[in-house]
Amino acid sequence: MRRPDCIGLGAIFARECRLAVGGASFWSLGAAGALLAAWRAAGREVTCGVAAYRASEIIVLGVGVVAVLLAGAAAARDRRQAVAQLVLAKPRGSAPALVLVRFAALWLSLAVLAAMVLAASALTQIAVAGTPWRVYPYAHALAYTMLPIGLAAALGFSLSTIFATPLASAVAALYWIVIPLTRAHIAIAFDLTLSQHWPLTALFLGFLIALTGALYARPVRDGGATTARLAWAAALLLGATVVAAYGIAASGDDALLGPDPVLAAIAAQSSHRDPRAPGFWLPDAHGRRVALSDYAGRPVALTFWGPAAANSVHALSLLRGLAAEFRSSGLVCIAVCVDRDSAAMRPFLRDGGSDVVMLWDRGRHFGDGTYLGDSPAAVGYEVTHLPATFILDRDRSIQYVLSEIPPDRVREKVAQVIDR
Amino acid sequence: MQVEISGLRKVYPGGVTALQGLDLTIPPGVFGLLGPNGSGKTTLMRILATLLEPTSGEARVGGHDVRKEKGAVRELLGYMPEEFGFYPNLTAYEMLDYLALLCRINDRSERRSQIEQALHRVNLDAVANRRVGTFSSGMKRRLGIAQAILNNPRVLIMDEPTSGLDPEERVRLRNLLAELAGDRVVILSTHIVNDVASIGQRLAILRQGRCLFTGRLAELLAPLNNRTWIIDIEEDELGRVRHDFEVTGVFRSATGMQVRALADSMSHPRGYAAEPTLDDAYVTLMNHDAGESDTPSEEEAPPSETA
Repeated sequence: MRRPDCIGLGAIFARECRLAVGGASFWSLGAAGALLAAWRAAGREVTCGVAAYRASEIIVLGVGVVAVLLAGAAAARDRRQAVAQLVLAKPRGSAPALVLVRFAALWLSLAVLAAMVLAASALTQIAVAGTPWRVYPYAHALAYTMLPIGLAAALGFSLSTIFATPLASAVAALYWIVIPLTRAHIAIAFDLTLSQHWPLTALFLGFLIALTGALYARPVRDGGATTARLAWAAALLLGATVVAAYGIAASGDDALLGPDPVLAAIAAQSSHRDPRAPGFWLPDAHGRRVALSDYAGRPVALTFWGPAAANSVHALSLLRGLAAEFRSSGLVCIAVCVDRDSAAMRPFLRDGGSDVVMLWDRGRHFGDGTYLGDSPAAVGYEVTHLPATFILDRDRSIQYVLSEIPPDRVREKVAQVIDR
Repeated sequence: MQVEISGLRKVYPGGVTALQGLDLTIPPGVFGLLGPNGSGKTTLMRILATLLEPTSGEARVGGHDVRKEKGAVRELLGYMPEEFGFYPNLTAYEMLDYLALLCRINDRSERRSQIEQALHRVNLDAVANRRVGTFSSGMKRRLGIAQAILNNPRVLIMDEPTSGLDPEERVRLRNLLAELAGDRVVILSTHIVNDVASIGQRLAILRQGRCLFTGRLAELLAPLNNRTWIIDIEEDELGRVRHDFEVTGVFRSATGMQVRALADSMSHPRGYAAEPTLDDAYVTLMNHDAGESDTPSEEEAPPSETA
């Protein structure tokens, strides 16, 4: 059936996929990622949740960098291989549609890379760890990582188109490496690998692809046109700034961010199988991510609390007391605020000092402390009421739940754990 | 179907003027654009192919404005740029398939038949399933021609189609273009004079963005009839002959040296009349134009022979 008025996007998509995954380098990269994932999942007793989580780290950071460079190469391909003129002179070569299809194909091929990494992780976990296997964590890891990777690709795609050289995408790759690894204040606005930033990520991604589509048929044709390129780059930067501003505003009021039932299910699954306390990687008040594993080898006092839960103030002051008393003994005190809005923990930060690490786990609770079981980390610890405090030893095993200890014996028990 | 160009100017960012108010009408048939490098041929072709915006003036392809009706113009168009490439890891067939898709030939069997036909015409059917990355430059150029004739374009624009082709391929291409011409407009640019002489019924000669001549080949040669001579000379005579006559070419033959020269009458004892060629006309035109435009002031200008 001939449809004379549109180009065959489906067929073009198939060709683009073939172009994107055509080279040996693509499969080598996939193999390297898979090996790394297998190595990271090869420990004994690694649960599928942990394995999937580690794989998703590899995907977001590793595949993310690959995505930037691959997209840079894909965007510059027409000009580098001098096909652009052939393509653009075709009847309604429909540059925006072509860019969109090309990007979609690229994204799909990146999903293939991500799937390779996850498959390697899952197979290793089944073979080596001996822990039960669930499909949930891996499905979640794939779904969760595709957006940041798509954004990485879009960045590479746009920069490469604007500056007409794939080298420009190396700048984006640098961003991708530096920002997520820099736990700095800037991260709250610019770390688009954070899962809670997904609306921003999606928005920015859409913006970049629209920009690239509008751009594809235009620049470099007239020779140099440096000013035009700079103008486009400025447009990109402006877009990034708008998104960042939106990010700052949105992180003050997180109504945009939806609950994640899959994540909750994973956390619930993970907690039953590992003898250790469930790990987590949560943002602090500045958006920096803090992992439990950052404090490996140290005893930890961990309090889940909610701004609306009645006894939270008491629990926090107890935690501060512990922090002050046992700081010299290496005790780490972490307070995880369970609330819909990360801004809710800010008032508590001011008089908290720096002894307590304040993190945020998105979830809901009632004034009487009833916790609705919808945030990933608290679910992992099987919290039903807020506040809840756990004492973990140096091997990350939960030694005590504070509600089970008489108040006057708390210090004694903590001292025991520290000395163990 | 014809191409009309009026007052076309193109000034690149940075101030380089590629076309200075060009007027041309290109009727159906093979039309040659001749000119030295930098004369504006490629710029003109890219404007006609809707890849470049003119600074001012108008160009219409089949009645459609290249600036305002890009889509309609591209419908009519097959374009082969001067420099182009292909995705090296696709086969010739796949590459043409990709480009045929962009031509909106969505039906698979129709695509197949058009691609096979195009590959056959440029004599590449034997290597249809070979990766383009392994092609020689001549083969790539032929594949470029194949993609330009996909979808049966009414206007075929070919920028330097013969460069990089071996003599046999060149002849084949000329035949193909002549065959394609019919009621189509086939515009080919070249700086190789013979390409145009053998197939171009009509031609334009460009220099520095201006049109020095446009019309039929015979019209170009007419003023040179009975004025073209071949002179057998000794090597040391060359300087003197150059001084006495307008030399359009110097050749070495088995017996010595020959020059082609223009003059109203022949005073040299070993000079004899010859048929004017496009080469003669081209060189004359270029020399005269260079004489006019390179002259620093009017007082020093030699008397114009073309006036």
